[in-house]
Amino acid sequence: MKKMILRNDRVEGGKTIRFLTFDKPDSAANTFDAATLEALEAELEAVETDPAVHAVIFTSAKEHIFIAGADLGLLAKGGSSPEMLETYLRKGQELFNRIAGLTVPTVAAIHGACVGGGYELALACDWRVATDDSHTRIGLPETKLGILPAWGGSTRLPRLVGVPRALDLILGGKTPPARRALRLGLVDEVVPREWLERAALRRVSQGKRRQPGAIKRLFTRAVGAAAARQARPGLEKKTRGHYPAVLKALEVVAHGADEREVYPSLQRERAAVAELISLPESRNLFHVYLLTERARKLARGAEGRTEAAAVIGAGVMGAGIAQWLSAKGVRVLLRDVDAERVGAGMGRIRKLYEEAVRRHALTRQQAREGLDLISPAGFAARPARIPLIIEAATEQLALKRQIFEALDAEADEGALLATNTSALPVGELAQVARRHVGRVVGFHFFNPVHRMPLVELVIPEGTTPEARAEALHWVQRIGKLPVVVADRPGFLVNRVLLPYLLEAARAFAEGLSATEVDEAMLAFGMPMGPLRLADEVGLDVALHVAQTLAAAYPERMQIPPLLPKLVEAGLLGRKVGRGFYLHTGAKGPNPEAEALRGEVGTVPTVGGTRSRMVFRMLDEAARCLEEGVVEAPEDVDFGMVMGTGFPPFRGGPLRHADALGVARVVEEMLALNLKPCSRLCEMAAKGDRFYEDTE
Amino acid sequence: MSRGVVIVDGVRTPFCKFGTALAALPADELGRQVVAALLARTGVDPGTLDEVIFGNVAQPAEAANVARVIALRAGVPQRVPALTVQRNCASGLEALLQAAQRIRAGVGEAYLVGGVESMSQIPLLFSHAAAAKFAGLARARTPWAKARALAELRPKDFLPQAAMRLGLTDPVSGLNMGQTAELLAREGGITREAQDVFALRSHQRATAAREKLAAEIAPVFLPDGSLICEDNGPRANQSAEALAALRPVFEKRYGGVTAGNASQISDGAVALLVMSERRAEALGLPTLGRLVESAVVGCDPARMGLGPVPAIRALAERGYRYEAAEVVEINEAFAAQVLAVQAALPGLEEARLNVNGGAIALGHPVGASGARLVLTALKELQRRGGGQALVSLCVGGGQGAAAWLERGQP
Repeated sequence: MKKMILRNDRVEGGKTIRFLTFDKPDSAANTFDAATLEALEAELEAVETDPAVHAVIFTSAKEHIFIAGADLGLLAKGGSSPEMLETYLRKGQELFNRIAGLTVPTVAAIHGACVGGGYELALACDWRVATDDSHTRIGLPETKLGILPAWGGSTRLPRLVGVPRALDLILGGKTPPARRALRLGLVDEVVPREWLERAALRRVSQGKRRQPGAIKRLFTRAVGAAAARQARPGLEKKTRGHYPAVLKALEVVAHGADEREVYPSLQRERAAVAELISLPESRNLFHVYLLTERARKLARGAEGRTEAAAVIGAGVMGAGIAQWLSAKGVRVLLRDVDAERVGAGMGRIRKLYEEAVRRHALTRQQAREGLDLISPAGFAARPARIPLIIEAATEQLALKRQIFEALDAEADEGALLATNTSALPVGELAQVARRHVGRVVGFHFFNPVHRMPLVELVIPEGTTPEARAEALHWVQRIGKLPVVVADRPGFLVNRVLLPYLLEAARAFAEGLSATEVDEAMLAFGMPMGPLRLADEVGLDVALHVAQTLAAAYPERMQIPPLLPKLVEAGLLGRKVGRGFYLHTGAKGPNPEAEALRGEVGTVPTVGGTRSRMVFRMLDEAARCLEEGVVEAPEDVDFGMVMGTGFPPFRGGPLRHADALGVARVVEEMLALNLKPCSRLCEMAAKGDRFYEDTE
Repeated sequence: MSRGVVIVDGVRTPFCKFGTALAALPADELGRQVVAALLARTGVDPGTLDEVIFGNVAQPAEAANVARVIALRAGVPQRVPALTVQRNCASGLEALLQAAQRIRAGVGEAYLVGGVESMSQIPLLFSHAAAAKFAGLARARTPWAKARALAELRPKDFLPQAAMRLGLTDPVSGLNMGQTAELLAREGGITREAQDVFALRSHQRATAAREKLAAEIAPVFLPDGSLICEDNGPRANQSAEALAALRPVFEKRYGGVTAGNASQISDGAVALLVMSERRAEALGLPTLGRLVESAVVGCDPARMGLGPVPAIRALAERGYRYEAAEVVEINEAFAAQVLAVQAALPGLEEARLNVNGGAIALGHPVGASGARLVLTALKELQRRGGGQALVSLCVGGGQGAAAWLERGQP
């Protein structure tokens, strides 16, 4: 068997320094699978019994990864086998304790992703030095999977950086880049990759790390207890009890920081994971994580030029797309009908960059580089030698068709033409393109572009496989996650979301308050209530999408008459300061909107409304699958979680349907006078599920 | 002729008065925008360029070799080199001449040239004496040494010197540029009235040519997203009375050079795409015209304003007589100076000279003006359906530069 860990001894100044290099064979990543743990145990034993070894430096042979953490497959199985999980967790803890207990100095020399178990190993070392490479990211993302760091991370990190910082990192599941990690105290030093070894050797020469004195420990303890007490109520409110791992992590971190010994805290880590891992929340979060990995791999192996793109249209979406592309190093030609509009777009782009600098997402230098990559066209400029053209004009088919006719003539023959649309038929635009047959696709970016990870990639009939691969490659190249959808009205995300929004509007029209409607969905776990979302999107925009979809699916998407009335009255949402809510001055529900609904009859119940809103989403999601808008339930769920914030701990609408039981969904829908689709009815009759692993 | 030099296309920013619309943009940003605009407009692959050459006078300290900064920021690939040239007021023309010489020598076939100047961002300087004292203070280690070094400083050490003023003074003759113009006026008997008439005509012509000039301009995008699309120097409502009311700046009592009949101090940038005739033909690119001949000649620094005279005569000796040019652009550093040149070159009448106005109205971003004259002259030839053009500039320090351009009749 090939070795998991390479051993190299180097004699420096007469002393033997042992380099232990993680290098899992035939894999781009190092993870702590059973074989790696076994190899680590053997190596530790060798160090413990060999008095000649003066120091140990842990490092990795991988290009982009130090150690990516625990073996997720093993962890996932742990849900059904508590004994196996306990053994696995114990093993890791025991090995890391042995590292912490070594009498010789230990250094983690980190290059690439050092997350989860990887960073927990580093935490057990005396010193941590890291490269300043962009691949180097450091942290403990476990809570994002619904569990918590259980190989000593929840115990050792607060001791290293204090409780407040440890909580911020662990509860947020953050993995900051090297420089930020240095500022936070996660590592001791950051150097260029070429000097990583020199830095590690310098740390060796400093010997064992001194443990903090009694006074500092007392101080840490006091601050920690206060921070934890303060954090709890806020967290409970924010997570609404949907993210048990976060509360559990808070408990373990705060409790452990108080103790001299690590063992009780380590025991609590294990107990917490054992408890969390079988909860549906963590299983669903695992599921979403796997879906994300799946989306990342969709474009694997694709090739094509991605150094430049043209964006036609400098409005909110066009500017957002241009900014995102340029921030990812793509040169952008930005065009619009006149220079004034391009200028306004440049103003928007600069604001986005300034905001990114304020958030520390980009440095000032990076922001300038990004801005320099944009060529605003103050006059007619042909997109010469540009491999991708994204049209981002207003959502009017006639206008887009006109633009596409011109682009078809102007663009290089090999260029990929894309339209950014949320609802228009991409196939009709494709017909216009005579020089770019099979090379027209839809890119549905979500607003705001820099915050929404999803892109719906619309593949109209007749698209060549090459064009599809290139489009996927582009989405991946710019760091977005694709969901491939068929060219059907509303595609996936808006189509599933709209019935839910219409249902919310109807409940409002029938007399529920905006707060009652929104609270119901916030309690369900949506990041924002449907009426507030409508305000954010703009009621006119929402109405426009609704009309498009109502034309395509008249029997299901009926627009409550109140909605056009609100638009007519100018209550367009946040952009004008009032919609369902007031957005300036006295915030809260907008009495104007309530007045417009006139006399209301029997007010629906909040519970019934919530069920209707949720079931309408589940039903439409099933219909998308039924009609082949997407290929698999995974696509639906991934799209809805990433595109709308459908609660990740529920795993997506279809996964949620499985959790409720399809038969029960159908039964309750019928009871609410809703008509479930034939797919749901058939599944209910047969006792089928969307996923095999949701039993 | 296999090594002919053609100007494929060109574009410039609006020229805006010192301290106004473009004041917030440093020279490299002005240059970046104009180069990006030219690349986008021509669609030429910047990877096929042999070099980027820009003229610049003030040489901003934060962007040494500003041409390189401009090129990289505008998306010219790293492997394409860049050079900044400085021949004072002729720097923008010098960039073109450098490219032409390289093309004729067979060194390369495609160059992006131009000129750029942010007069607004020319810094204030500490004198060398003051700087030496500051350095002494920084080096002082003991409190006593520090106190002694501090005691050396005088209030006048903190008084900054405007680098622009220094730049506009000829260190050899000790004369300010305005004073050299006064000298020409005095010696040539050029009256204040004649200067003002000339200045008024410059404004009238530039105002009338606003639409024509718009064809040269690519808008500048300001950080807030607003656009600058027009030169702000030309004054449509300029009156002779207002010009006559201005006080002479350099010779207060008997002089005639005022702020009104001297060039405006401005910010701006110009970019030209220059190729061998062969390359342009191979790419099938339409061109603005050819650079046929050029001359740069030295003269008396105290009479630098006469520089165009020997330069234009040098062209005539090679067969390019100014009488034959339908369009003549002579940079209007000062009205007195252009009038002195006209007096020395009989037959250079107003009808062909600076027909779309000059630097008195449009402004004189020193490093950019030379390239602007070429662009304006070629666009005028284009509108006339072809012909010959002469452009020339006087150069601080005592030089004259001239170039002969032509555009074939269709």
